[in-house]
Amino acid sequence: MLQADQLTLQLGGRPVLRGIDCAFATGWTAIVGPNGAGKTSLMRVLAGLLPASKGEVRVGGQRLAALGSRERALRIAWLPQQAEVSDELTVREIVHLGRLPHLGLFTAPGPADEAAVDAAMAATECSAWAQRRLPELSGGERQRVLLARALATQAPILLLDEPTTHLDAPHQVALARLVRRLAQRQVVLTVLHDLPLALHADRVLVLRDGRIAGDGAPADPALQHALVRAFDGAVRIDTRGTHPLAVPALDD
Amino acid sequence: MTRALVQAVRALLAGAVALCLALHAAHAQPAQPPQPAHSTQAAEAAVRTPQRIVSLVPSLTETVCSLGACSRLVGTDRFANWPPSVLQLPKLGGLDDAQVESIVALRPDLVLAAPSARVVRRLRDLGLTVQVFASDSHADVRRSIDALAATLGDAAAGPRLWAAIERDLAAARDRVPPAWRGQRVYFEVSTTPHAAGTGSFIGQTLAGLGLANIVPPALGAFPQLSPEFIVRAQPDVVMAPRREISAMAARPGWAALQALGHDRHCGFDAAGYEMLVRPGPRLGEAAGLIADCLVALESRR
Amino acid sequence: MALDLTVPATGATDHSRRRTLALGLAAAAALLLTAGLWVGSEGWAWPAEQAALIVGQIRAPRSLGALAVGALLGLAGALAQGLFRNPLADPFLIGTAAGASLAVVVVLAAGVLGASAATQWFGDIGLAAAAFSGALGGMLLTLLMARGAQHSLRLLLAGVVVGMVCGAVADLLVTLSPQAMRGRQFFMLGSTALLGWHQLALLGAGLALALPAAWRLSRGLDALALGEDTATSLGLPLARLRGALVLLLALATGLAVSQAGLVAFVGLVSPHLVRRFAPAPHGYTLLASAATGGVLLLGADVLARGLLAPLELPVGVLTALLGGGYLLWLLHRRAG
Repeated sequence: MLQADQLTLQLGGRPVLRGIDCAFATGWTAIVGPNGAGKTSLMRVLAGLLPASKGEVRVGGQRLAALGSRERALRIAWLPQQAEVSDELTVREIVHLGRLPHLGLFTAPGPADEAAVDAAMAATECSAWAQRRLPELSGGERQRVLLARALATQAPILLLDEPTTHLDAPHQVALARLVRRLAQRQVVLTVLHDLPLALHADRVLVLRDGRIAGDGAPADPALQHALVRAFDGAVRIDTRGTHPLAVPALDD
Repeated sequence: MTRALVQAVRALLAGAVALCLALHAAHAQPAQPPQPAHSTQAAEAAVRTPQRIVSLVPSLTETVCSLGACSRLVGTDRFANWPPSVLQLPKLGGLDDAQVESIVALRPDLVLAAPSARVVRRLRDLGLTVQVFASDSHADVRRSIDALAATLGDAAAGPRLWAAIERDLAAARDRVPPAWRGQRVYFEVSTTPHAAGTGSFIGQTLAGLGLANIVPPALGAFPQLSPEFIVRAQPDVVMAPRREISAMAARPGWAALQALGHDRHCGFDAAGYEMLVRPGPRLGEAAGLIADCLVALESRR
Repeated sequence: MALDLTVPATGATDHSRRRTLALGLAAAAALLLTAGLWVGSEGWAWPAEQAALIVGQIRAPRSLGALAVGALLGLAGALAQGLFRNPLADPFLIGTAAGASLAVVVVLAAGVLGASAATQWFGDIGLAAAAFSGALGGMLLTLLMARGAQHSLRLLLAGVVVGMVCGAVADLLVTLSPQAMRGRQFFMLGSTALLGWHQLALLGAGLALALPAAWRLSRGLDALALGEDTATSLGLPLARLRGALVLLLALATGLAVSQAGLVAFVGLVSPHLVRRFAPAPHGYTLLASAATGGVLLLGADVLARGLLAPLELPVGVLTALLGGGYLLWLLHRRAG
């Protein structure tokens, strides 16, 4: 449903993406790779925030560039790595902004919008703070609010850039479970630094130096090799358990 | 709640705009006074002579008094100080910050102002009669004297006053010692320095006294000069307020002015200097001050 | 960077605070309008004579005009702070006011405005139109120099520079054309003394245009608060939204400055006061800032007339003292 055709990106004269060719269907894809691999840039191009120097993004067969901004927003929801914080809006008001693609600037919200907001806040477990403001919340709590904002749009494609930042272990797990649930009906792409968590995705895309260095299911040995290579042997994959485990290669 | 607030605000605004437009239309005929709000000068002069005059320009205050109508003044601006009797009158601010309400409360039937003062428009909107006079030259002063005399109901007083001024000017010219005729003058109007040019009313007074000006006509009425220009021009006489003359030699480069070194300068006291820079009915007297100074300089040689 | 100047509404609910503020502002406005009708050249007294003229033609339009000008400035301040996501943005500091006053000096120096009856209404619109384009030009120049509005320091520096340059050019014009000097002085001090029903009608029309438009765009400002990329990802046409907001800002500032000159700090302080007492989305904050600005300027106008009656203090001096004092106190609290 989301397709990248020979995406090339140059930023400040430097090549950041070199011919990324990829398609994403319903399910959870984790994008991993070393620093500077181009993960966030790829996300931003897929979200339509950054125009590619060459190549195209397609959503449901249509060119992303041909869609209007609202149409794009209805199809793709994006969570940034570092979000700006509003001091004045309550949590509920922030999550409500996620309905903007549906409402535009002028339409009054209706019961469907309120229901979507409620559902998004319930899914991220921040209903209890509906009337609080972001400065009062911890980093992790803020992250969940912003995620709820992305969920409230109910877009079929979710692009989450480092959604687990600031989250403690229980909440990382809760988020992973939530993402898996959402991935049953939506296309979910997450950029993750957390490799163990990434290996719980349906599919892992390994990026290095702007190119795809690996692409496959976590259980696939080819993917695992690509992962280890991409990180220069700093990790190794432990396949002894029920699920592949990425482990820092400290002993070698 | 915001929605209700917005509806309320919208209704309020619509009502307010409608009210404003209605009031604007209605107030085309104000309650006071009987003169139409925007009439020409001639029409204003044809109405009965004003008995309550507010003057926002010091030179026009002097003119009104010189025409014998001092008792009809009910208010002046903060700078008016001649004749001394006007000091008792209510002070109404300056041209730029005139106290509109205080002026209206005095119920004037004539307000005197200068061109391009925004308060003129406001006062006319309120139904007051405002006459505006420029005072940039001798001709302007003569015109304002004649026009004011006509407005005050004694048209003959205007030419009479001007004749007296011209007599004073002529007498002053006669008093100027022959050795000083044609001498080149630098008349300072501000320490920036700004000088009085040939076209200004001060420059015209100097010309009337048979004196020359170091400022060529092309530079305008009150040009800001570079000190270099003044020093190179080497004026024969320097004229300025007394306290500035004493400080002038200390200015960088000004000690080169030979006129300063040879005591060929006229330092006027505050009252005298004020008279010199006011384009009003004391033009003749002011010329006399200059003549007196030159006589004194002559006697000292 | 967010100067944490808000008080979290723990305890009292948000809605009750917003309602309290709205009612408080309405009450203050009513009270001050009444005071505005009572204060004048005789101090706090109803005029003994010519009451209809003095109260109806001088005090009433002046008081309402102060309310309107303050509302425009309060709205402009809230728009600027939301648009630039900078709590120090103020029409004064980002070039709009300096540009507007330069434009007015240009018009005055050109001698376009005579005092003839026929050109009066046109003169008003002409001056307001000049101030509007000057405000737009000044702000665009500031944004150009600061290369966008992301960095507070660059924006403020650019605003200061544009202000100085506009001031210098205005000085030059006044030197070459002395008839502009009177008008210029009027602007530098800021004054409500010349507001009559004509001017109020113009101000009212401007408010009737600006307030609803601003309110409709307020959701966009809320989204902008979360960052540009988030706002874009939510489908907002950023360029058009910014353009509309900039135009609105220039309209409000230009109109206010053209009628009352450079009135300091009202635009800066009003949104702060609203956010401190009743933090809310921009739909409420914009309107409440307008109301707060109106009340502030009206209060300053009443004080200006009443403190040393019959002497009138320049209202801009009072707003600078009060507004500047409030900011100093705020900074002191932050440091402590």
